[in-house]
Amino acid sequence: MSTLTLKRAETQAPLARSDNPAQPFRVAGGLVDRTRPLSFRFDGRALTGFPGDTLASALLANGVRLVGRSFKYHRPRGILSAGSEEPNAIVELRTGARREPNTRATVAELYDGLEASSQNRWPSLAFDALGVNALAAPIFAAGFYYKTFMWPAAFWEKLYEPMIRRAAGLGRAANAPDPDHYDRMFAHCDVLVIGGGPAGLSAALAAGRMGARVILVDEDSRPGGRLLAERREIDGRPAADWAAQALAELASMPEVRILPRTTLFGVYDHGSYGAVERVSDHLAVPPAHTPRQRLWRIAAKRAVLAAGAIERPHVFGGNDRPGVMLAGAVRTYLNRFGVLPGKRIAVLTSSDDGWRTAADVLAAGGTVAAVIDTRPSVPAELRRPVEAAGGRVLTGSFVSGTKGHLALSAIEVSDASGRFDQIACDCLAMANGWNPIVHLDSHLSRRPVWREDIHAFVPGTLPSGMTAAGSAAGDFALADCLSGGARAGQEAAATCGFDGAAAPAPQTDPESVSHTPLWRAPRTKGKAFADFQNDVAVSDIELAHREGFRAVELLKRYTTLGMATDQGKTSNLAGLSIMAELTGQPIPSVGTTVFRPPYTPIAIGAFAGHHRGKEFRATRHVPSHAWAEENGCVFVETGLWLRPAYFPRKGEADWMESVNREVDTVRAKVGVCDVTTLGKVDIQGKDALAFIERVTANPFGTLAIGKARYAILLREDGFVLDDGTVARMSDSHYVMTCSTANAARVMQHLEYARQWLWPELDVQIVSISEQWAQYAVAGPRARDTLKGVIDPGFDISNEAFPFLACADVTVGGGIPARLFRISFSGELAYEIAVPAAYGDAAWRAIMAAGTPYGITAYGSEALSVMRIEKGHAAGAEINGQTTARDIGLGGMLAKKKDYVGRLMKERAALTDPQRPILVGFKPVDASQRLRAGSHFLGVGETPSLAADQGYLTSVAYSPSLKSWIGIGLIRGGTERHGERVRAYDPVRGGDVEVEICSPVFVDPKEEKLRV
Amino acid sequence: MRIRCPYCGERDNGEFTYLGDAGGARPDGMGTDAAAMHDYVYLRDNRAGVHRELWYHGAGCRSWLVVTRDTRTHEISDVTSAREAGLARRNSGTTSGEAA
Amino acid sequence: MSEIATTSSWRPRSAWAGFAKPGRQGRAGAEPGVILDLREGIGLATIILADGQDEALARALSERFGFAPPAPGAAAFASGRGLVWAGPGQWLAVAPSRADLAGFGEALAGLAAVTDQSDSRAVVRVSGPQARTALSKGVGVDLHPRAFRAGSAAGTGISHIVAQIWQLDDAPTYELAVPRSFAGSFWGWLTESAAEYGCEVRGLPR
Repeated sequence: MSTLTLKRAETQAPLARSDNPAQPFRVAGGLVDRTRPLSFRFDGRALTGFPGDTLASALLANGVRLVGRSFKYHRPRGILSAGSEEPNAIVELRTGARREPNTRATVAELYDGLEASSQNRWPSLAFDALGVNALAAPIFAAGFYYKTFMWPAAFWEKLYEPMIRRAAGLGRAANAPDPDHYDRMFAHCDVLVIGGGPAGLSAALAAGRMGARVILVDEDSRPGGRLLAERREIDGRPAADWAAQALAELASMPEVRILPRTTLFGVYDHGSYGAVERVSDHLAVPPAHTPRQRLWRIAAKRAVLAAGAIERPHVFGGNDRPGVMLAGAVRTYLNRFGVLPGKRIAVLTSSDDGWRTAADVLAAGGTVAAVIDTRPSVPAELRRPVEAAGGRVLTGSFVSGTKGHLALSAIEVSDASGRFDQIACDCLAMANGWNPIVHLDSHLSRRPVWREDIHAFVPGTLPSGMTAAGSAAGDFALADCLSGGARAGQEAAATCGFDGAAAPAPQTDPESVSHTPLWRAPRTKGKAFADFQNDVAVSDIELAHREGFRAVELLKRYTTLGMATDQGKTSNLAGLSIMAELTGQPIPSVGTTVFRPPYTPIAIGAFAGHHRGKEFRATRHVPSHAWAEENGCVFVETGLWLRPAYFPRKGEADWMESVNREVDTVRAKVGVCDVTTLGKVDIQGKDALAFIERVTANPFGTLAIGKARYAILLREDGFVLDDGTVARMSDSHYVMTCSTANAARVMQHLEYARQWLWPELDVQIVSISEQWAQYAVAGPRARDTLKGVIDPGFDISNEAFPFLACADVTVGGGIPARLFRISFSGELAYEIAVPAAYGDAAWRAIMAAGTPYGITAYGSEALSVMRIEKGHAAGAEINGQTTARDIGLGGMLAKKKDYVGRLMKERAALTDPQRPILVGFKPVDASQRLRAGSHFLGVGETPSLAADQGYLTSVAYSPSLKSWIGIGLIRGGTERHGERVRAYDPVRGGDVEVEICSPVFVDPKEEKLRV
Repeated sequence: MRIRCPYCGERDNGEFTYLGDAGGARPDGMGTDAAAMHDYVYLRDNRAGVHRELWYHGAGCRSWLVVTRDTRTHEISDVTSAREAGLARRNSGTTSGEAA
Repeated sequence: MSEIATTSSWRPRSAWAGFAKPGRQGRAGAEPGVILDLREGIGLATIILADGQDEALARALSERFGFAPPAPGAAAFASGRGLVWAGPGQWLAVAPSRADLAGFGEALAGLAAVTDQSDSRAVVRVSGPQARTALSKGVGVDLHPRAFRAGSAAGTGISHIVAQIWQLDDAPTYELAVPRSFAGSFWGWLTESAAEYGCEVRGLPR
C-alpha cells in the first residue's frame, strides 16, 4: 500500500503554468507522476500523459476537447465529468480482439501505448457527415422510433434498423474472441463500505479499528473520492494527505480488505452484493495468469453506503458544447491531475460550491473570465477574489446560449430583465448542486425520498443492514462526511458484536453549502439538453408532456431520458424537474424511475468467469472414456454427460453404417455399452420396502432377494416421472436405477418423499451413481463373455441366474461387483457394476473376454435403435405429458397399495380411451425415411389441428428389419394395428404413409432374453 | 438471496431448489377420494405476505427445508428441517401442515 | 481389496487420470501459492443413521475411530481416519485405504446404513499460502479462520459441481471431494483458479 502514499506538490500556493509544450494545459500540482511520461494515441494522434492520469485528464492536458459525437444528432461532444457518470466522452479502447466500445474516458486509466478512438462519427470526428442529422432534428424528436419507422413493416429489418444502427451506433465490439480470462471471488465480511471518499474511509477506519472484518470498495484506482479533488484541509493538512494516511492505516489492518478499481454494481437480498474489480484494465495486456476483471460476490452483515454524490449540470441552449463541464470536474482535473481545462474559464453556479471552482482556478494561476450566479445576491467574500483578479461577476443571471464551432468559444449571459451579454471563454464550469447517489439503495425496489432543504433525492427506507453516510445521505459538508462516516462504521461494527468508541472527528476548514438550484434557464437559444448521452432536449420533454407521456416511467420510455449506459446519472433530475414544472407538480410528486443493477455497465465476461467455451458448464466423463477415446469413439453430449455415441471402424462410410454394424453385432454376437450414466440409488433400512412401495407405481412386495424388477415412478399428478429398476440385494437393502436424464430429479424426489411425505419411515437413501461403473453386456454370447470376466465360482447359467436375477459377485480376483440380468436391447443381457476406479479395467477385460465371440463396443445410438426395435419408452415418450397407460404400461400398475400418483392418474381425461397411446409404425414403402415429430393424419385427410391424431416420438433405421421404424402416440392405437395413416411433417417436407403395428418389432415373444 | 440452513448455516440461494407452498399434508391415497387428492395436488396458496414454503438444499446437506418468507420483502423469518416439521405434524395428529 | 488389486491385472484408475499432470503450473516463481496433492486409493463410505440409534451409533463410531461423530458443519480426524459431517444423521467416513473400511457395514448393522463410496469421489488436498484465496474463487462458504477452521466441514456447490470440503489444519490445509465423473471439469476450475498464485501438483494419478 506504500504506492498509495501521495506525493503532492504545494498546491496551496499559486501555480505557474507548465512550459510543457506537449501538454499545454498541464499545470503544476496534482497526483500524477511526472517523472515517467506515457505515450498514447487518440484517433491516431500521438499524445503524452502521466501515470495517474485518466484518458480524459490526459486529453484535456493536451488541449483535446472534442472527443465524440452524440448518439442521435451527431453533435460534437467533449468531457463533462471526471467520473463514472460521464455521458459524453464515450470512446473505443484498444484494438483487435481487445477492442472495447463505449468506455468512459473519464474512468479509463492511462497506460503506455493506450489506443483510443472516438465513436459514432464518419468519416472523422471533426467532419462528421451524419452531423446533418442535426439539421433533420425535427424528425428525431422524442418517440421518433415509433412514429417514423412504422411502415411498411418489411422495411424495418432491411432498411430502418441497419440505418439507425449505423447512424446511432454505439461503437464496435471486437470481432475476435476475448483473449483474456475473467475471474470470480466470494467474499464475506462484517461491514462492507461502499465508496472510499471521506465518509467511506471514516467508516472503514471506525469499523476496522474495532476489529471487524471490513471490505472497502472504491471504483477509482485510488480511493479518496473528493479528498483527491478538492483544495481542502483536514486537521491542518491537505485532504489528499489525510486520505493517504487513512488508507495506509486501513492497509495495515489484517481484517480490512481494500478493493480499489472495484465498482459495487448491485445490491441483492439478505446482504448480498455484486462488485466487479478491474484487475488489469489499467494495463495494455493482463500479466500472465492474471485475470482481466474479477467478479466479487460479497456477503456482508452490514453495509455503509458512502457512494457520494453526482453534480448536476445546468440546462440551457448549447449546454452540450465541448468545453462545458461540471464545476466539480474542473476542480478534479485541476487539483488531482494538474490540468487546467481552459485558458479562460467561466463559472455558472447556483451554489456557493461553484465559487470554489473559481477560487481554485485562480489559485492555480488560471484566468476566471466570469462567475455567473443565478441567485440575486452573493456574499462579498465570495465575489472579492474573483473581482480582484479581473473576473466579471454577474448575479441574478443565467447562461442562455453558447458559441463555438467544435468547442466552446463564448457564452451568452442573460438576466431576468432581458439584459444580454456575451463573454469569451473556452471552458464553462457548471455548478447546480449535487445529487446523492441513490441507485444502490434503490436496487431492492426501494424509492428515494425528496429532501427540500437540499433540493435532492436521498435514500428512503434503506435495505436491511445498510446505512448511508456522507453526501450519499445528503450530508455534503466535508465535516459531516467525516463524522457521519465514522458514526456509521462504528454502529455497523457494534451491531456485529465489536466494541469500541469512535475517535473524535477530524477538523476541517470552514465551508458553505448554500444552494438554490435553477432547473433550467428561463430563456434559451438552441437545443438545451437534459440528457446528453441520449440526446434528450427540453423540447423532447415538452413534446412528451403535450402528447400525454407525463408519468415518469412513460417519460423515460417515450423520450429515452435516463436510458443508455449512464442510466441517467447526470440527467434524471433535470428531466424530472422540467416535467414537474410543466405539470405544475412538486418534484417529489413526479418521482423517480426505478434504478436496477448494474450501476455501471459490466462486461458479460466478468459474469461468465471461468465458464466460457467448453467450460460453459461442467462435463461428466464415463469410466470407459479413456478406452473410447483411444478407439476413435464419437461422443455426444447428453445433459452434462459426454457419452460414447458410436465407435466407427475403418472403412465405414458414415455413422449409420457404424451404428448398423453395432446393432447387428449385438443381435448376432455380443456387445458392451457404458450405462454408468444411469442414476443409481442405495436404499436401506427397516422400512426400505415400504418406502419403495410408496414411490413406485408397480408392486414390489413380492420381490425376492436376488431379483430385480422394472419400476415405474409417477408424479403426484399421475403422469410418469421416470422408469428404471429396483433390485433387492438383501433383506432390507435395495438398489434402484433410474434414467440418465432424470437421475438428479429422481434423487430429489426420493429425498422429498423420505423427509417430507413420510418422515416416519426408517429408511436411508444415498446416491451411488458415482461409485459404480455399470456396463450392459448384451447379445447371444453375453454369458460366454462374462464368464471370462467374473471370478470362478459364480454360476451364471440360465438356471442359476435367470432373467431378472441379481447378485453380488467378484471380478479380477476379488473386486466386488454386482451383476443384474436385465435387458434394454431385448437380447440375452446383463448389466455388470464394478467400483468406478476399476471401470476402465473392467471395460478392457470385457472387450478381451468378448474378442473370441466378435464383441463390439456400442454407444448411445445403437442403444437407442435397439430400444426402439423393442418398443421401450425413453425420454421422448416419458416427457412429462404421458401416463403409464399412454406408454403401454397401464397393466403393470399396483392396485392394492398407496403410492405417489395413485389417485390422480385415474382422472377421466387421463383414462380417456381416445387418449393417444404408444404403438409402432413402419412405412408402407420400406425405403422411406421416418422423422420424429411427424404428426399423424388420416390418409387423404386435409391437415388441420382437428385432424391431428398424435405424433411419432422416436424413429430409427432398424438394421434388423431393413427399414425405418418408429414408435409414437396415436389415438386408440392399440385397436388399430394394421391401419394406415400419414406421418405428416410439413416443416421438413415429410408426408409418409405408415402402418400402425405393435411397438415390439424384434422378438415379440421375448424368447431371446430368457435363453 | 441467502437462506440460513439450520444445518449448514447461511448459504447463497443458488445452492437451493424451490418447490412451493409447504401446505397441507398428503392424504393417504387408499383412505381418501380423488377430490381431496386433487385439492392437495393443485390448490396452493400464493400469498402476498408471510409464506411457508419448501426448499431443497441440494448442493449442501440435501435437506428439505420449510422456509418462512415474506413474499413481498423476501424477509426470511424462520427455516426449519422439513423432516422435523413433518414428524411434529405426525405426532400432533393433524393432517394439515398448518400445525407443523 | 487393495492387496488383491496389486496381484491382479486389474489396476484401479485414478479419478484424476487424464486431467491432472504433476508439476508446476501457472505463475512461475520461487514458492507455489497453492499445492495440490492428489489423494489416491483412499477409502470412503457414507454412514446414515438409522432412526432412534443416535446414541448407539455414536458409541460404535467412538470405539472405532476414537472420537464421537462430528456435529453439523464439523469433521474429525485422527491418524488419517476421519468422519466428515455430510447431512443430518449422515457422515462420510474417510480412511487411508479402501481395505480399512472392510466389514464396516456389518459392524454397524442396525445402527446405520453403510455404503461404500471409495470410488465415487475425486479427492484433492489443497494447501499453500494462497490456498484459501484460490478456493474462495468458487467456494461460497466463508473460509475465514473466524468462520471455518481445522475441523470444519461443508457441503457446497463449487463451479456448479456439488462438493464437500473439510479443513485438516490451520496452515490451512483443505481436502475437497467432488463426484468422480466431474473430476475433469473440477480440475479445470481448480487449476485455473490457482494459476494466478503459481500451483504445484503432487502425486501421480494412476
